[in-house]
Amino acid sequence: MKEWIIETSGLSKRYKGRYAVSNLNLKIGRGEIFGFLGPNGAGKTTTIRMLLGLIQPSGGNIQIFGQPLRRNRLQILRRVGSLVEYPSYYGHLSATDNLEAIRRIIDAPKNRISEVLDIVGLSKEAKRPVKGFSLGMKQRLGIASALLGSPELLVLDEPTNGLDPAGILEIRELIKAMPREHGITVLISSHLLSEVEQMANTVGIIRQGEMVFQDSMASLREQAHGSMALRVSDSMKAMRVLAQSGIPSQHEGALLTIGQTDDEYVARAVRELVASGHAVYRVEERRKSLEELFLRIVGEGRGL
Amino acid sequence: MMLKAMHSDWLKLKGKGLWFLVCLGPVGLIAMQALNFGLRYDYLKKSYAADLWGGLLNNIAVFVPIALLMGITILCSLLANIEHHTSSWKQLLALPISRTAVFFSKFAVAAIMLGVSCIVLALGSIALGLGLGFGWALPLADIAKLGFYPFIAALPLLALLLWMCLTLRNQAVPITLGVVLAVLSMFAIAEWLPLTWPLLAYKAQKQEIFLAAGALGGLVVLLAGMVHFARRDVD
Ligand SMILES: Nc1ncnc2c1ncn2[C@@H]1O[C@H](COP(=O)(O)OP(=O)(O)OP(=O)(O)O)[C@@H](O)[C@H]1O
Ligand SMILES: [Mg+2]
Repeated sequence: MKEWIIETSGLSKRYKGRYAVSNLNLKIGRGEIFGFLGPNGAGKTTTIRMLLGLIQPSGGNIQIFGQPLRRNRLQILRRVGSLVEYPSYYGHLSATDNLEAIRRIIDAPKNRISEVLDIVGLSKEAKRPVKGFSLGMKQRLGIASALLGSPELLVLDEPTNGLDPAGILEIRELIKAMPREHGITVLISSHLLSEVEQMANTVGIIRQGEMVFQDSMASLREQAHGSMALRVSDSMKAMRVLAQSGIPSQHEGALLTIGQTDDEYVARAVRELVASGHAVYRVEERRKSLEELFLRIVGEGRGL
Repeated sequence: MMLKAMHSDWLKLKGKGLWFLVCLGPVGLIAMQALNFGLRYDYLKKSYAADLWGGLLNNIAVFVPIALLMGITILCSLLANIEHHTSSWKQLLALPISRTAVFFSKFAVAAIMLGVSCIVLALGSIALGLGLGFGWALPLADIAKLGFYPFIAALPLLALLLWMCLTLRNQAVPITLGVVLAVLSMFAIAEWLPLTWPLLAYKAQKQEIFLAAGALGGLVVLLAGMVHFARRDVD
């Protein structure tokens, strides 16, 4: 049986009668990189705050490392590193002192500070007061803070916010290496599928507080498979011909689309059409990108 | 766990000019009386001839409550602002540390600072009295009481203002309240009012009652603040 690192059941949070998160059943297994996706205001940060015990759920349960969060919060947090929303820091202190302020609480070894600064590429700036840092540098410091306690579970809320393309790539490589090298489980939230696509092996998509998709990345890719568009002389009649030979299709104006793209299937459709006297002008493959699929999942139920 | 939190809080205060703040109150009080006694030396020396040291201490004591409460207000707001400023609460409270330890650590740091202020005040009083030539018959007990008794009697107010500063993002509310309380604390309005305890703890006959009330009241407010802080949602 799979070991769940994070498991929530019926998790909900209500603000003034409105649900920011409702009935969330999150399941994240050991060593997974879980991409937590959703548009602005979907409830990602609210969920993450609940997972860290920062806010009380209005309903439901949270189990982390198989222990109830409500009862074993401190034991659990000892094994978790987190970055919530925009980075927190003490502006008047240097990067080293910022990490030291955390280290004094979590009891990490002292040399871990230079290690994590090195990991996020801040070693050269370590002595400067953080208030003079750029947004991307503060973000890196936030990631360094999350790594400081050598956690088994990393919870990162939009960690690449404010980073330049090179920085995004760097952080992505860093996160990708986590499960491989240290057996760390990662929960990472984002607005963009493309951002987590290359590292996540599981995705959860949340919309208006509700989970609308939760499955492996591979299965999401499968759903994004393409379709064939055929331009024919008389699309209405052609559709009927195809239907008779067991090939379902839709027509949009002069175009006819069929849902499968494998060669044999397409060849059979064309054969049937030509045999019954239709002219086939064009056969095109249409790929639905993952991003389009994502936008469709997220967009459903919009604009009431 | 408490000590870890304090150890960390200590570091966060680096470069915040805290020692300057700690000395500001007592040095101000002493300077004020140096001026008072310096200008009216002969007159005051005649009127306090029976008890020169007592006269000096009583003059200082009038202004101890206002300085104390101003100091409390500034300290609490400073301690809270370090976390409010860049929303560090969400990072701090997601660490493996109990919220009661976080809250109590801030309280302890503020109390230590104020304690140091009281010591500075005592040393300053001695220096001033000697400087004015009041002789070496130091009323040491009274000199120690001068700062520490009002401080202990002000613990409920310290706990209250700290609680407000730590939980309210907008510091204008606790700061305004603190300043108003500081001004009002100079007047012995009514004995049952905690606000008057810092003044009465030095001035009144039965000092112990105000000390006990202060310590007990401080504990109650501190516990209430901790329980609330431990349960609230962190933005
Ligand atoms: N303290 C609060 N009081 C009232 N409503 C809140 C509070 N915090 C969040 N919300 C609401 O909950 C919903 C979800 O917010 P949340 O911050 O979790 O979204 P998100 O998915 O993180 O969005 P983003 O991508 O913009 O960061 C929003 O509609 C927000 O207005
Ligand atoms: Mg968010």
